[in-house]
Amino acid sequence: MNILKNRFNKQTITRLPGYTVLNLWVIFTAVLVTWIILASLSTTREIFTSTMLQTGFHFENYPKALFAHNIASYFLNSVIYTFLSGIGIILIAAPCAYILARFSFKGNKFIQNLFVGSLGIPQIMIILPLFFMASTFSLTNSRFLIIILYICLNIPFTVFFLLSFFATIPGSFEEAAAIDGCSPMRTFWIIIFPLAQPGIITVAIFNFIVIWNEFFIALIFANTSDLRPLSVGLYSMIQSMRYIGDWAGMFAAVIVVFVPTFIIYIFLSKKIIAGVTGGALKG
Amino acid sequence: MKRDKTMMITFVTPALITFALVFIYPTIRTIFMSFFYVQAVTDSLGKWNFVGIDNYIKLFSSQMFVQSLKNIFNIWFWGGIGVFAVALLLSIILTSGVKGKGFFRAAIYLPNVISAVAMATMWIHFVFSSKYGLLHNVFDFLGWENMAAVQWTSPTNQFASMTVAYCFGMVGYYVLIFMAGIEKIPRDFYEAAKLEGAHIFQQFRHITMPLMRAVMRSSIVMWSVSSIVFFIWSMMFSTLDPQVGTVTPMVYMYALVFGRSIVPSDPTLLNAGAGAAVGVIMTLIVLVVFGIVNVTIRDKKIQY
Repeated sequence: MNILKNRFNKQTITRLPGYTVLNLWVIFTAVLVTWIILASLSTTREIFTSTMLQTGFHFENYPKALFAHNIASYFLNSVIYTFLSGIGIILIAAPCAYILARFSFKGNKFIQNLFVGSLGIPQIMIILPLFFMASTFSLTNSRFLIIILYICLNIPFTVFFLLSFFATIPGSFEEAAAIDGCSPMRTFWIIIFPLAQPGIITVAIFNFIVIWNEFFIALIFANTSDLRPLSVGLYSMIQSMRYIGDWAGMFAAVIVVFVPTFIIYIFLSKKIIAGVTGGALKG
Repeated sequence: MKRDKTMMITFVTPALITFALVFIYPTIRTIFMSFFYVQAVTDSLGKWNFVGIDNYIKLFSSQMFVQSLKNIFNIWFWGGIGVFAVALLLSIILTSGVKGKGFFRAAIYLPNVISAVAMATMWIHFVFSSKYGLLHNVFDFLGWENMAAVQWTSPTNQFASMTVAYCFGMVGYYVLIFMAGIEKIPRDFYEAAKLEGAHIFQQFRHITMPLMRAVMRSSIVMWSVSSIVFFIWSMMFSTLDPQVGTVTPMVYMYALVFGRSIVPSDPTLLNAGAGAAVGVIMTLIVLVVFGIVNVTIRDKKIQY
């Protein structure tokens, strides 16, 4: 008993510095988030005089941010962009990943390499011709264009991510379906696609987070206020802060931007973390 | 299994078309464009004037662009050293058998799922605020008057402040990657080393590092690719115009092509062709880094 106790103590002591570092790191993050939440519920004067919450909770900051500062409409835009392009990406990338994972043909490896290679192309390399194309087809300032761009830009990563999931599904499913007279295309959508669901859901969550937080494309292609998603909307709100001075409202807006991905993360962090490590270590 | 050509073509073609549309065609066009004087991005080919490598020469003689390259190098190099060192430390602690590993890991990764605009706002308007900020209050509490009075977002400090804030968020990603790499190493290696009397630093030096070569290699490539597109944080730390302290190539290019004039004194530099040249230079840098990393950190086939 004594030996056990000693051992326990010794382990705890040697790990103490480790725990201290971890706790400091996490506490700092928590302070950051908590302070923003408190600030979003105080008045601007209270924030500047470090007397937050002295006059109680000011929930009215939220409706003010949402409606007076347009955050609600930016939020709606973000929802539209993320969902429609999220679905579009899967509908185009999943069939392609399936073919590349399942069949060997000339050029298969080449296509895979193209997709992987494009992950290294910085956006500044492609943005100017994209802008040119958009204005040539007079697509600038439309939600449609932004959705199309988000779909196209995220397909390579999604295909790359899904390859390994389709590779693990045994071929016997297709053979059985073929014997029953199911066409190959139907077989994919009815049998294979649902079987690959764990991978599809993980990559869909990733795409959701990426598109929800996307900034550069939106900054360039969502020029007018009514097309802006949250990230650019918040940025323009911060830029005009020096004239408006509604800091409490700004922190409320930060929380509105923060909450959706935060909630998703709380529920799905295991899946997200497994996806990050799986995707990165494969290559 | 029967190969169905029609299916293969219908399934692969849409993805290839989108790929050609947003990656292949734009890449080729940008390369061409960088050798031309192009008044506006929207100008068609007919209005381009061939100028050879003039755009590149002008860029490298522009103080602002050279500064943006210096900035991005400093973020990549010093930030990279910081992020990798802290992430390694945290991942070693987390894989040493601490309680609550899952929680700590999730909390450390959290900033990666939050909008960078929101994260930067938290840093600029809370941590670094000189009136009510976290650093101000902490130093004030400790009685360090000089430190409490520091203007963290002033031109002299903003680059360091920005880099620290950016790196804080990036650490989480590399913690995940490093932890996965460390956990792949069989525990017996460490047990055996412990029996032989190797202390924790020796274990790290002779077991962890050599067996993480492949992980390190892909992490360095990832870090380089994400540093090259450094944009939001710079835009957030200097809201109105690009400033010498925080400008990065992507911000420079944005200001050059889409923003207000970056060099009003020299209107001839203001052309989309120069913007394209910035893109080409950054892509070349990615390729060079990738090549160097691949040559210097060789992949040894390891089997456990």
